[in-house]
Amino acid sequence: MNQEPIIEVKGLQKNFGAFTAVKDVSFTVNKGDVFGFLGPNGAGKSTTMRCMLSLIKPNAGQINIFGKNLFEARNEILAQVGSIVEKPDFYKYLSARKNLEIFARISGADVSQQTIFETLDFVGLTGREKDKVGGFSHGMRQRLGIAQTLLHKPELIILDEPTTGLDPQGIIEVRDLILRLKNEQNKTVILSSHQLAEIEHVANRMVIINKGQTIIEGSVSELMNAQETLLSVELLERSNEALQLLQQQFPTLKAEVISPKTLELNVERSLIPAINAALVNGGFAVVALEPKRTLEDFFIQMTQN
Amino acid sequence: MLWKNTYNEFIKILAKPRSYIGLAALTLLILIILFAMKADGRMYISFVTASFEQTLSFNGNILNGNLIAFIVLQMLIVHIPLLVALVTGDLLSGEAAMGTLRMLLTKPISRSQVVFSKLIAAAVYTFILVVWMGFLALIVGRWMFGTGDLIVLNSDGLVILNYADILWRYGLAFAVAYLALMTIATLSIAFSAFADNSIGPIVSTMAVIILFTIIGSLDVSVFEHVKPWLFTTHMASWRSFFSDPVPWSAIWESVWILLVHNILFVAIAIFKFKRKDITT
Repeated sequence: MNQEPIIEVKGLQKNFGAFTAVKDVSFTVNKGDVFGFLGPNGAGKSTTMRCMLSLIKPNAGQINIFGKNLFEARNEILAQVGSIVEKPDFYKYLSARKNLEIFARISGADVSQQTIFETLDFVGLTGREKDKVGGFSHGMRQRLGIAQTLLHKPELIILDEPTTGLDPQGIIEVRDLILRLKNEQNKTVILSSHQLAEIEHVANRMVIINKGQTIIEGSVSELMNAQETLLSVELLERSNEALQLLQQQFPTLKAEVISPKTLELNVERSLIPAINAALVNGGFAVVALEPKRTLEDFFIQMTQN
Repeated sequence: MLWKNTYNEFIKILAKPRSYIGLAALTLLILIILFAMKADGRMYISFVTASFEQTLSFNGNILNGNLIAFIVLQMLIVHIPLLVALVTGDLLSGEAAMGTLRMLLTKPISRSQVVFSKLIAAAVYTFILVVWMGFLALIVGRWMFGTGDLIVLNSDGLVILNYADILWRYGLAFAVAYLALMTIATLSIAFSAFADNSIGPIVSTMAVIILFTIIGSLDVSVFEHVKPWLFTTHMASWRSFFSDPVPWSAIWESVWILLVHNILFVAIAIFKFKRKDITT
């Protein structure tokens, strides 16, 4: 993974009157990252995103994008950024194509009609370009919103809660679109969400914020692996003997027998393959290994602490 | 970027049904006045001239297109500000309410350019309203009622203007009326920069017009120093072109005061909008 930083946010703070929405948020996004921006509702995600797009002026802190200060080189930076903040809103009385033409005209790039049609095709809206946006479903607007972010072929895409209000099919479609942006077009994507599954599926790095402060930042897999997971082990038989074997090989292991066929272990995710190997090599028939604690528990633990 | 966004603004104004309400209402009102004058105009005129008939004899086509245009202007200049504010008061705040302002301001266009592009679009829209009013009142009026000398009843008495001496007066009167309407447009845009809903700026603009008009009409000494500086005092200065001789210095004073108001309102709009946190 390329380590060239695209975004550097340092000590960001934003107050609305007496209310502090963002107290101290810092993180770095590298080129090519799909970066998850996690936090519970009201954590300050949208405020941070709005600051990163110069919609809101922070009271303190620094935002550098592409190595330049956002508030000194705003237009130059925004010409290379595509974004959706909260939800994509369009001129309902205009068609999908007219809406895209309006945003393309002020995107800072020459966007041809062909690019508009290709982008509509990329997000699966071919055939609906002449329809007024007022008649679009929420999912279609989200896809049109993503089309709007891609028109001028930006380096960086910022998506704030892009799956909010979508049905499961819509969530899968948006998730697929994000992965295609990374894999097919090598874009850097920042994705905010309070839904951890969303981040887990698409992001390689993430930051968790809570109450306007950065809690932790790092690689999704490292954070996941560093976290103890409740692992349910289902065997054909002899769970007591399996427990003894595991305690011999992994002395610090916390484990208990649930039934003659089931064990529950508290382990780091990185140990799961070794546990499986130990059981198989010890002659135990392993039916299933099911991690029961996920990133969600990690998230809750982090934000509650 | 300014002109590209101005082009966008025209597309939005043209596509919004609200934009046509003003033109449709104006057309309907003027057609009603023309119809009423065609049906019962002689009675209306004789009512106005009755007090002069003992000393003056009126010959020729008094109820002509020139007089009709004057009546239309006088009747509608009070109501057109509402039609202007209906569109211009919505330009910034309507986008904030729709959420499209958020989308717009994540593009590489400065906030000043956004305000200026909307101002240009508002100026063109207001110009179209004034030209349309002029066309219906003067051209259609002349076509329906013919031409002739214009008789105007001023506070100084009766002014009779030769028909050959009228068109330039209408041209300049419409220009000053346009400037007055632009003051309404810039005021509503300034309100629009503060609001996040469509109705607030429109209602606020009308409230200011009503308040200033009431202050202007009150014969109370405490307001005497304020009245000359209220833009509403100068909104009817187009009428001065139908005096004889034309009070040029008073007209220039009105033009300057209206221009200063325009600049002030645009400056307020830009000052506020540049500092506004977009939270909608």
